[in-house]
This record gives sequence, C-alpha cells and structure tokens, in this order.
Amino acid sequence: MLEIKQVSTIIGKKKIINNATFSITSGSIVGLIGPNGAGKTTIMKSILGLTKFNGEINLNNQKITENDHHALEKVGALIEHPAIYPFLTGTQNLSLYSTDPIDMQHIITLLGMNKYIDQKAKEYSLGMKQKLGIGIALLNHPQLVILDEPMNGLDIEATILIRKIIKEYAQNGCSFLISSHILSELQKVMTEMILINNGKIILTKPMSAFLKTNYDYYVILTDQPDKTKILLTNYQITSNDRLIVKRQDIKNVQKILFNNGINLLELVPQRPTLERTIVNLLKNQEVKNHA
Amino acid sequence: MKQSIKNEFFKITHQKITWIAPILILCLMMLSRAFIGNSEQRLLIMATYNSGEWILLALIIVCSTVLSMEYQYHTILLTIYKAPNRFQVFASKLLVISIYNLFLHFLAIIFTLLLQLTPLKAHVSWLIINKYSQSLVINMLNTTLIDLVASTLIVSLIFLSSSLIKSNSIVITINLAIVFMGQTASSQLLNTNAHLLNLVKWNPLNMYNLTAQYYNHAVYHDTSHLTNIELLLGTLIYTAIFLILGYYLFRKKKF
Repeated sequence: MLEIKQVSTIIGKKKIINNATFSITSGSIVGLIGPNGAGKTTIMKSILGLTKFNGEINLNNQKITENDHHALEKVGALIEHPAIYPFLTGTQNLSLYSTDPIDMQHIITLLGMNKYIDQKAKEYSLGMKQKLGIGIALLNHPQLVILDEPMNGLDIEATILIRKIIKEYAQNGCSFLISSHILSELQKVMTEMILINNGKIILTKPMSAFLKTNYDYYVILTDQPDKTKILLTNYQITSNDRLIVKRQDIKNVQKILFNNGINLLELVPQRPTLERTIVNLLKNQEVKNHA
Repeated sequence: MKQSIKNEFFKITHQKITWIAPILILCLMMLSRAFIGNSEQRLLIMATYNSGEWILLALIIVCSTVLSMEYQYHTILLTIYKAPNRFQVFASKLLVISIYNLFLHFLAIIFTLLLQLTPLKAHVSWLIINKYSQSLVINMLNTTLIDLVASTLIVSLIFLSSSLIKSNSIVITINLAIVFMGQTASSQLLNTNAHLLNLVKWNPLNMYNLTAQYYNHAVYHDTSHLTNIELLLGTLIYTAIFLILGYYLFRKKKF
C-alpha cells in the first residue's frame, strides 16, 4: 500500500533521513520508534509531501512528491499539534475537511465529543483538542492514518478509547503509522515496528517475530526448588524460588532435573521490556557506528 | 482548488475582524464627512471619504492574519498536505483576500452613496463635471478601481512578508510602516537623490502615491514625478514581482 524507497531528506545542510526504505501493508499498525531527533516527524512529513526528499514514496502505486499531493486524498494525519482553528467550533473544524457528513457524525460519537463539539475550540482542554485532531485524521474513510504522538494530553480513559478505535479501523483495512514516546502504549496496538536512529532505519519487523526472537532467557520453577538450587548452582535465583536459565541450556537443565526426579512446573520465556530491547538495539547501533 | 477556496472563505467569514473592519471603515468615513469642510466635499466623494487608507489598514490586519494564523494555530501542515500542491494554497488565499478587497471597495461606494444622503454637509450632484472632464460619479468609480489596483500592491507585499516572517505582529507593523510612512520615505528619497531622480522615482514606495495622485494630481505629481499611467504600470509590475517572490518563498519554506 505505502512504499518508501531509498528516501533521503536534507534540511539545510543536514541529512535528516538517510536512505529510508520500508513499506506498510493494508490494515497494519506500524509503530515508528526512535529517540528525539531521530527523524520520525521528518519521515511523516515526507510521506505527506511537506518536505523535499530524494527517493520515491508511493501510495497505492501513486507517486507522492513535495508538489503533488493527489495520492494523499485518502490519508489522514495528526502531525506535531492538532490542527485546529480556535475561532471555529469542533463541528466547523471537522466540516472544513469532511466530505461525508454521516462519517463525520460517526467520528464525533465514536470519540465521545458530542457534548462539546458545538463549542468554540478555544474553550477546549488539551485532551479535547487532541481528540479533535485525531477526529480530523480519521475523516473520509482513510486508507492510511499518520499519527505523531497521538496520546499527548489524553487521560487514561481517552487513551484506551483511541487504542480501541485504532484497532477497529485497522480491522477494516486502514493502515496506521504511529510515533509515540509512550512505548508501552504503542506496544499494545502496533503490529509492526520500525526503529529509526540518526535518520537511518535500523529495524523493521512484525511485532510477533520481534517478540519471538528475543527470548534469550527462560524462567523455571520446579516441584523441589531447594534441591534444584543445589543442582543448578551456576544459575541466578529469583526471589520467588525461580531460576533464570539461558535458552541454549534448557535441554541440559531438563535432563539434570529428570535424572534427579524433579518435575518442571513452569518454563516461561523471560521477555525483556520493549524499552529495554530498544535501548539495547540503539546501543548496539552506536557501537557499530563507532567501530 | 474549489475545496481550498471554499475552506478559505469559510475561515475568513468566521473571523470577527473580517466584519469589524467594514464597521470601522464606515465610522472613519463618517468622521471625514462630518469634519472636512464643504469646499473639499467633491474631492472627498471622489476618494470615497478617504476610504482607501482605511481599507489598506483593514487589509493589512485581515490579510496578515489569514496567512500567519496558519502558523500560529499549527494548521499550515494540514492545509498544505490536504491541498493538491502549495500553489493552490497560496492562490486560494490570494483569491479570497482579493475578493475581500473588492468587497471593501464596493462597501466604500455604498457607504459614500449613503453618506451623501445625510444632511451633515451640502449635497453635491453626482453628475457635476469634475476632474478629467468626467462626472463626479465616474471620477469616484475610477478612483475606486485605481485604489483596488493600489491596494493589491500592499496585499502582494503582505504575502511576501508573511512568507518570510511567521509572526503576525511583525508583518502588521512592517506593512503599516510601509503604507503610512512609505509616501514620506519615498519623497525624502527623491529629494535627497535629485541627481538620480529618473531612477529613484521608480522605487516601490513611490507607487503608493497612485490613488492620491489620481484624485489630486496637482499636489501629488510634484511628489511622485511620475504620470498616472507610469504609476499604474509601476504598481502592476511591483505587484507581480512581490507575488512571484512571495510564492517562491512560500514554496521553499520549511514547516
């Protein structure tokens, strides 16, 4: 659906994006992750034809350039701040871009904005503005929605609601490209992850594959924890009688336990948090760059 | 393009200043009608009670707001990506401001017709032969047309300055200074560079004499050193230059 090939963006004399290549398929929720200044917003702006770039960006085989946005007809976006005119009401802000009044009303109801939608936007709180900004991005049955920090200013209830809406839209074939600093929140919705650092894409992977390949350690619990501790003295013991073993040692550990009449009650992969994994990946990238 | 123009109309018509400006213009025209002597009435009617200056003031505020609000409210990114290209954003804003300019000039004529009916000063016949061997009403219509061209020059300058500067207040200040001090500055420039008169008289600030020279040729020709036609041509050329330059900067601008 969206294809980005060898895209480089230069602002002033600085190369902000360096040969970025990735694609987004229909119905996927892609998390764009990276430290501050990594180039997340610039990639989003390039897709929206807001900055000049080298390379090629195609949406449904239609080319996007800085001066041709025809392919963006079915693209919704919330970039940096919600784009809201304070002297207009919420309804008026939405109707500026809406081509389908029924869809617009559906979005107002979906986002729970009925109570205040006819008030001037200057009276809105940060969270209300953010919801309206997301509402604008979801207008006109988009095929792709780009959200830059969508959870900014939202309370827990609204965050859960937005997460639910994103999943619903994705199930109906809409794709999302989302950047967020709240990784735990992003982890709950994204189906694919793109990791960017210093303008370079360093990882693109489906979340399922990403989680699978990162279980380097397993936690085990047996029916005789004390005896197990004596047998497996080289392994780290957790506070609740569990032992942490390396993935490559699992077969060997199972043999030892079987030979000593100990039964295995639990064998659970020890998942590193997304934050920890990303920090490690970024560190490895830095080491590679300095090598 | 149709959608961009529709959106620009929607935005401009929902801003208070758009509607306050004509009321202010009417008030200031009423003051001119009330406090300037009977002997000057023909000149005042021809100049639609000095509405040109007040229209420029209104245009500076409204026009610079139309552009800079997009930066202020962070709506510029959405406005640009929703349009097929940047030219359509620039052109639709320019078109809407030009129509607003036309609307203010049309209102100025209506206000002049109404003010003429008030008993504050002596009534002057519309058909009386006045300047350029034309009736007063034709003089007024021609002055309005000339002023429409002159005010488009300031619109082009606002578009140029707004493409350079994001701050609304700075854009307003610069353009107010140009409009209300430009004629004096140009006059000083011409006086101090008398030996370069043939060159310096084509400076853009001198073009702001166009309307005033049309309705008061005797006084302003000595200031501008250009004929009416030369001033008109100069105004049109500078308007085109400022608009092309403004669009070029807008197209290259990073948001």
